[in-house]
Amino acid sequence: VSVLTRSGPKADGPTSDGKPDVWFVYWIFPGFYAAFGVIICLLTRVTPPPRPDITTADKIAFFTEHRTTMQIGFGLLLILLGGAAVSNGIVVYHMKRMTVGSVFAYGYLGGMAVGALPGFLLVAACFLTATLRVDRNPEVVGMLYDLGMLSYNGSLGCFSAAYLALAIAILYDKNGIFPKWFAYVSIWQIVTEVIATQMFVFYSGPFAWNGSIAFWWSVVVFSIWLCALIALLKKATAREPADSPALD
Amino acid sequence: VTQTESPRTHLPGDGHMWVMVIGDMVVFAGYFIIFMIYRAMTPEAFLSSQQHLSIDLGAVNTVILLTSSWFIACSVLAARSGDHERAIRLTYGGGLCGTLFIAIKSYEWWAKITDGHTNSDMFFSFYYVITGVHLVHVVIGLIVLGVTVRELRNPARRRVSMVESGAVYWHMVDLLWIVIFALLYVMR
Repeated sequence: VSVLTRSGPKADGPTSDGKPDVWFVYWIFPGFYAAFGVIICLLTRVTPPPRPDITTADKIAFFTEHRTTMQIGFGLLLILLGGAAVSNGIVVYHMKRMTVGSVFAYGYLGGMAVGALPGFLLVAACFLTATLRVDRNPEVVGMLYDLGMLSYNGSLGCFSAAYLALAIAILYDKNGIFPKWFAYVSIWQIVTEVIATQMFVFYSGPFAWNGSIAFWWSVVVFSIWLCALIALLKKATAREPADSPALD
Repeated sequence: VTQTESPRTHLPGDGHMWVMVIGDMVVFAGYFIIFMIYRAMTPEAFLSSQQHLSIDLGAVNTVILLTSSWFIACSVLAARSGDHERAIRLTYGGGLCGTLFIAIKSYEWWAKITDGHTNSDMFFSFYYVITGVHLVHVVIGLIVLGVTVRELRNPARRRVSMVESGAVYWHMVDLLWIVIFALLYVMR
């Protein structure tokens, strides 16, 4: 590990400051999300989302068609899901370096950790069950399709609480760990996620789980937020003096 | 920060708030464009649903928000000239208008829902989402005005850029409402 950590920042970034262990954890963040992107987009086919308004037979056909890649993708995700926790860890670490104290960092940590269960894990369990228990009643398999997609795209309250904790912490912070504009971008995230709750009611249209407002426009905002977070974490990690004392 | 140092190219507030305001307007523009696309697909249905909206209540709320923006603009002028007591009073005036807006909007929602105009109708699903998101912005705006008052009360703070930032946000809330009023209530 020490070899990895020492070579990380020098090989990949122009900065030479920052702590080796923090750099090591930092690179897990974009690494996890890159793997996550490949899994959800290319392998398991949950993004772009399949249609909510199809018949049970079509749902069974969807599982049959993508059976192998879904099993590979969600099997991988079950193993890699801890990467989400590590990715949250690097954000929490930098939040704890803010002047506001640890309380918002714990709020972020709790919100993201609980949100990941319905947001990532339940859809994996649903779709793996659907593709590995093919002898089940088709109606039950169809229900797993709905449950998986609604849970994956519509379980947003805990994430909203985490974004709020992050935004407030940034606005109060006097150490300048993250720029203030990122707090505002996090507030957009809350708004788009609250709108996405509409998808439980609709089978089609802009507010369904594949809708232009409830899903696609929210994904655009999320992508901006995520890219900004990865860039800002890199800056924050680089700016931390290598000889600063360890946090509590 | 660097822009505010030069008097010739003075940017009111700080750059971070402008990122928020311009970005937020882009996010709202997305909602407006999607609304227009769906409206263009079934114009008759949208028009017939629109008849149930009270243009009077919408107009009253527009006047209320415009008045609030006037209060806030005057408050910035007062803060710039060092009259902090007056700036605080004017900010309270703006906040009062914002509260009134929320009260009228809540009544309007309650009246529409009890009349059976729920989000099972496409026009009304847009109405609830767009006015709802705007309402969240008004609530955030009231918090921002609270921060402004706190800033003005403390003689050790009283940074004009903070007061300007709050005003920039509040004017955005007003501007967005004018577009929403035009799109949802007025456009036939």
